[in-house]
Amino acid sequence: MTTDMNSDVISVQGIRKIYRSGEVEVEALRGVDLTIHSGEFTAIAGPSGSGKSTLLNIISGLDLPTKGQVHLAGQDISTMSGNELSDFRRDHIGFIFQSYNLIPVLTAAENIEYIMLLQGVSPEERHARVQEILQAVGLEGMGDRRPTQLSGGQQQRVAVARAMASKPDIILADEPTANLDSATGAALLDMMRDLNRQHGMTFVFSTHDDMIMERAKRLVILKDGQIASDTTRRWPVIDSAQAEE
Amino acid sequence: MLILLKLAWRNVLRNKRRNFLAGIAIGIGLAALIFTDAMMIGMHQNMVASVTDTFLGHGQIHREGFRKTYEVEKTINNGMELAKKLEADPNMQGVSPRVLTFGMMTSPANASSIMMYGVDPEREKLVSKLADAITAGVYLAPNDTNKVLIGTQLAKTLEVEVGDRIVITVAQADTGELSQEMFRIGGIFTFGVREMDGQMAFVPLGSAQRMLTIGNRLHEIAFHFKDLHIANNAEDPFWAAYNDNGNETQPWKELVPGMKAVLEMTEYSSFIVAGILFMVVALGILNTLFMSLYERMFEFGVLRAIGTRPFRMALIILFEAGLLGMLSVIIGVSMGFALTYIFSIVGIDYTGIEFAGMTFQKAIYTVFDIKQYLTFPLSLLVFTMLIGIYPAVYAARLTPAKAMRRSF
Repeated sequence: MTTDMNSDVISVQGIRKIYRSGEVEVEALRGVDLTIHSGEFTAIAGPSGSGKSTLLNIISGLDLPTKGQVHLAGQDISTMSGNELSDFRRDHIGFIFQSYNLIPVLTAAENIEYIMLLQGVSPEERHARVQEILQAVGLEGMGDRRPTQLSGGQQQRVAVARAMASKPDIILADEPTANLDSATGAALLDMMRDLNRQHGMTFVFSTHDDMIMERAKRLVILKDGQIASDTTRRWPVIDSAQAEE
Repeated sequence: MLILLKLAWRNVLRNKRRNFLAGIAIGIGLAALIFTDAMMIGMHQNMVASVTDTFLGHGQIHREGFRKTYEVEKTINNGMELAKKLEADPNMQGVSPRVLTFGMMTSPANASSIMMYGVDPEREKLVSKLADAITAGVYLAPNDTNKVLIGTQLAKTLEVEVGDRIVITVAQADTGELSQEMFRIGGIFTFGVREMDGQMAFVPLGSAQRMLTIGNRLHEIAFHFKDLHIANNAEDPFWAAYNDNGNETQPWKELVPGMKAVLEMTEYSSFIVAGILFMVVALGILNTLFMSLYERMFEFGVLRAIGTRPFRMALIILFEAGLLGMLSVIIGVSMGFALTYIFSIVGIDYTGIEFAGMTFQKAIYTVFDIKQYLTFPLSLLVFTMLIGIYPAVYAARLTPAKAMRRSF
């Protein structure tokens, strides 16, 4: 389900988000315009409270903006019903969260298979795809393990695998390396970068991790709810081997 | 759908201790309901037997209006023929023709008002437990003429024993003249019911008819069916068939309306216990499901984020409620069955206890009934699922972002 190269996967205009708690109002986003193209490897960075996670929630349809428009894969998500939004996320967006990504009572294979079940994929195709994806993320043979039987890095790899399973237009990752040691985090990022290069998968990270910022081709800096800078760099930037040197 | 059931089942197993304890708590409630119902049925049967077997019978025939005034002249029309006709009825186990009137019994020490019954001793044995209630002396013999049976209370009042002489005074029919005869105490009975032990006296049928100068007429015909169901069914054609010619035929429920009310009350008690049980179930299920839901809030956010529709989220919770309900049913039915089985053999001894005008003659034994193992468990299961709708809807309405924020 990936779109053509250079087409807009995500387009947000004039995004404002206000959180209200009693009489207190907090404006997390103050007019953000952002477009993500197909095949990008983009990090949205900024200090705590800059609005990165909020922006990621809005561009993924997990939350609605107070003001502004959100277009995903050419569709305006503000007009979608609850079911339509669920189906849209299922088919177009892959998610990787900081922690507690996986359903603890399902095995690694079942976690990956879950989205394909929701999509109505046949059992044979599901099985074949699960094995293919496990191999792609370096977890061949570990499909029948539950999350508690996997290390943190392995769990995040399964999360990446699950995010890929639905063949989404874009994979959104919110602080994916936050709970990993640097070596494991670096290996995970390199794997995702390889997927981006080899398969053209679009990745967008929300992070304040230097490792991700160093590897991202495009770096969007948020400050106080607004985009402070948006730079695209030449690729390759850095990889684990260079980082160790 | 299967994946959702798998998720629900594994989530239930995730916290075995909590869910097992919740299942036990609800199961105990179901077991209590099953046992209460079994005991109520047993008590019901015991009370009916106590009332009908002791002396009343399953039904009685009187002349219309007799039971309002107990006038000696109000005898059953064609009483003896009716009694013979009833005895020929294949539904009948026993028929007892009786004569009854108010009177006075006098001993050297004291005097007391009584209700004198004239009975045919052999036919009376087929309808009442008078012969079994004798605690001193002997029961009436077929050829007795001047023997009388009185209750323990009456014997105490009159200060008499077996073999002592007493005088019975009654008013004759039509003339109202007093008739007195001397009788010897043949036996003393104990029914355990105050009114019976203190007020009733039994003489041979012929002796009573002679004293009242009513020839072979009767005041009452008591009868016992082979099958109690006819006695409990007022619509059965039997009742209409004998309700004519100035006579009225009444089943036991109409003869002791107070007992009918008590028995209806015991039937409602199961519903009351069920109502209390279901309230406990509702609170238990809600508490367990919401605790589980709040613990897994982020997980639910992830499920919604990756594309699980709200309806499917609700189904996961409903399946969990259903599985919890099934666990409770299994525990409750097992415990309820065990308790009912034990007390169906051992019984609960209320012998001698007087309640609502009757005395329990035997221990109460719990009785199995299909509704205890079908209606009650199914109702509990359905109710559990209905209660599960509240947390299910809550889960379905979670927005992913809010669910994931709440976990922090």
